[in-house]
Amino acid sequence: MKARYGMVIDVDRCTGCGACMVACAAENNVPPAAQRATARTGITPMLVHKVSDGAEGEDRREAFLPVTCMQCEHETPCVTVCPQQAVQLDPATGIVMQMPQRCLGCRYCMTACPYHARYFNWWDPVWPQGMEKSLNPGVAVRMRGVVEKCNLCHARLHAAQEKAAAAGKRTIDQHDYAPACVEACPTGAITFGNLADENDSVSRAARSPEAFRLLARLGTEPKIYYKSKRPWVRALAEPHTAQSRKEVQHG
Amino acid sequence: MKLTRRDLFTWGGGAAAGLLLTPVPWKLLDDTSIWTQNWPWIPQPAHGPVEVKNSFCSLCPNGCGMRVRMAVGWPVGISGMPHHPVNQGALCPLGFGAHQLNWHPRRLRQVRYHGRASSWTEALVAFQKACAAGSVAIIDGYPGRAASSLFQSFCKQHGSYGVVLCTEERALGPYETWSGVPVTTLGYDLENTGTIVSFGAPLLDGWSAPGRFTRLWSERAAGMADPQLRLIQVEPAQSRTAACAWRWVRIAPGSEAALAAALARALREEHLAPEDTPMPPATLAESAARCCISIEAIRELARTMVARGPVLAISAESNSAVAALNVVLGAVGARGGIVCRRKRAESYAAADSLTGSFSAVLIDSSVPADFNPNIDAEVFRFAGWEGGPGRADWLLPAPGFLEELTDIPTAPASSIETYTIAVALAPPPPEMRSAAQFLAQVDPSAPLVEQVIHARCGQLFHARTGRLKREQSTAVSALDSPEMLKKELCHGAVWVDDPPRAGGIRCRLREWPQPSGAAPCAATWTTAWVPPVLPPLATKLYQESVLRETPPRSAI
Repeated sequence: MKARYGMVIDVDRCTGCGACMVACAAENNVPPAAQRATARTGITPMLVHKVSDGAEGEDRREAFLPVTCMQCEHETPCVTVCPQQAVQLDPATGIVMQMPQRCLGCRYCMTACPYHARYFNWWDPVWPQGMEKSLNPGVAVRMRGVVEKCNLCHARLHAAQEKAAAAGKRTIDQHDYAPACVEACPTGAITFGNLADENDSVSRAARSPEAFRLLARLGTEPKIYYKSKRPWVRALAEPHTAQSRKEVQHG
Repeated sequence: MKLTRRDLFTWGGGAAAGLLLTPVPWKLLDDTSIWTQNWPWIPQPAHGPVEVKNSFCSLCPNGCGMRVRMAVGWPVGISGMPHHPVNQGALCPLGFGAHQLNWHPRRLRQVRYHGRASSWTEALVAFQKACAAGSVAIIDGYPGRAASSLFQSFCKQHGSYGVVLCTEERALGPYETWSGVPVTTLGYDLENTGTIVSFGAPLLDGWSAPGRFTRLWSERAAGMADPQLRLIQVEPAQSRTAACAWRWVRIAPGSEAALAAALARALREEHLAPEDTPMPPATLAESAARCCISIEAIRELARTMVARGPVLAISAESNSAVAALNVVLGAVGARGGIVCRRKRAESYAAADSLTGSFSAVLIDSSVPADFNPNIDAEVFRFAGWEGGPGRADWLLPAPGFLEELTDIPTAPASSIETYTIAVALAPPPPEMRSAAQFLAQVDPSAPLVEQVIHARCGQLFHARTGRLKREQSTAVSALDSPEMLKKELCHGAVWVDDPPRAGGIRCRLREWPQPSGAAPCAATWTTAWVPPVLPPLATKLYQESVLRETPPRSAI
């Protein structure tokens, strides 16, 4: 059976500590920020946003929203626009793969991504002297001039597949594969699993009435779900922004 | 056929357009792009077999359990240790990038005397001269370790020993004053509490071991309209903890003590607290004016607090009014309140209170970088990294993260006694030396850290109490020898004592205490962090997002 890997992020449990961001960077050999890097030009495949209900004073409610590549399943915008076939939707796992060796750096995919979940390598990857010894051997360092994004820690999937193959199995043990952010979350707010498996706890959580997806109206079928008991948090998923004529006509 | 100028342009244009339809230009562009991006200075990770080892973080006194991925002899990744009884698999964001700290550009790599390069020999001679001239003071930031006992032994002959406690332990200070039980023996029984009233303590943002309260909150409170564990955050601004709390009470800055007194008075007036508990002198109207909230809001908060017991009040820093509120609530020595661990620890002198004439002060690398001794003497400061406002005549390079063998005693404010050993996983640079190694050169008759750890394992084995916690628990009494116990501890097992008994501490107050303690200030989440620098990957939090403001005392 083909897998459809996805996440359910419980916004009510997120404290905004940022452990997922650092663990993601360490796992994927993302370099420390260049001196001029900002929130816009840095590389944060997992980025936690602080959001609020807009009220002031003691009535103000705040929440933290971890945003990563949404692994869109249907008409994946970045796949559609890439002139180099550097982005592909893996039919076996549902993971949207980014291949930096093919990337030209045109950044069409960044423009097309409705979630701003893609990052461009503006600078050469540089670590302080000697620190390259601490790099994860399972992940290649990306060069300047290419786009990168979350690939659900694909190196960990490879390791799990190798382990399964060594044991003579055709499918991986689900306990052997979880992205770094899932492992790092101190409150267990991020859960990961196979959405195609109806018995998977993540699949069940994704079907709960509290679950929602960001910008679901675009029809790209993201595989990253969010969950909250708070109505104002759920309302953030579909902001009241201006709609195009096509959206108004066709919904 | 005559070739005209027009034909030349036509053919040239056609060829150029036709070439665009072939893969040639795109392939050339692609290859050029790849060539220009693969410069030889782009680092390539070393390849080799990956193995996972267990160890413990020594960057703050909480000693969180870690699983360290090693490749080619170096740590390449860190994750939490799920079976650790305190952090339960969670780490702070800084811990996940801590394996890169040893290559921080501000790593201290040589002995410095007043900023210029010096040597260990010169430092040793200077320290020995100071020892001969008078007494010395040794300041420790992480008491209870094997190294700490060596410091104490040295000080018995040569001077005084003082400690710099972390904020969680300092907040327990009033109970030590009132009961005589040392703060290093006291802890919060969070696991059995029904309501926590936090007076500015960043419970969900780096308070104590990060996993301890966040796991509890996640399971019993997060997102619930009527949670099993009610977290009430009293704070002037909406901090990260206030944003996640069940209820946030906004008060005027610096009025925590006034609100604690007002709550105690409201409890007494509404007969929700025993009559023999002290009554604060300030009226509710006075306190309400000081806190900028209404009297009715104070009364309502008092009723809400006790609606789901046990109730526990926690302050960010030492605050006698908050401690007195716990006495009124009956939380001292009770289940779900302030508890006393089974093994009574020593009482240490605070580093600030050391008096007398000293010829030298030796500061261990476990002391936060911004600590300055109030002693007029020559300062020998051990540090893994440069920086920080701390005064130092001699700056001595100490082993960094996971570079030395150390034991990990009980985490501050923990309700249960624990003990384990963190082995060195990375080789330290040759010029590094710990304070214990330095003192062993001054006094060669002193035992080594390894010998003290071995002796402690022997004591634990012969006491035959508690259990060893790994994936499965094993009773210490089931082990064959002290060597086996030590081997297990070195491989990631944690010795856990039996749970404390209620009633190990009693505080009786006749009068409401005078306001005391440090001036209240916004608690920051890195207060327990010892190095003056942060892991370079912390730039993801501070520079490449708007998630956090950089702590004022640390450099990335």
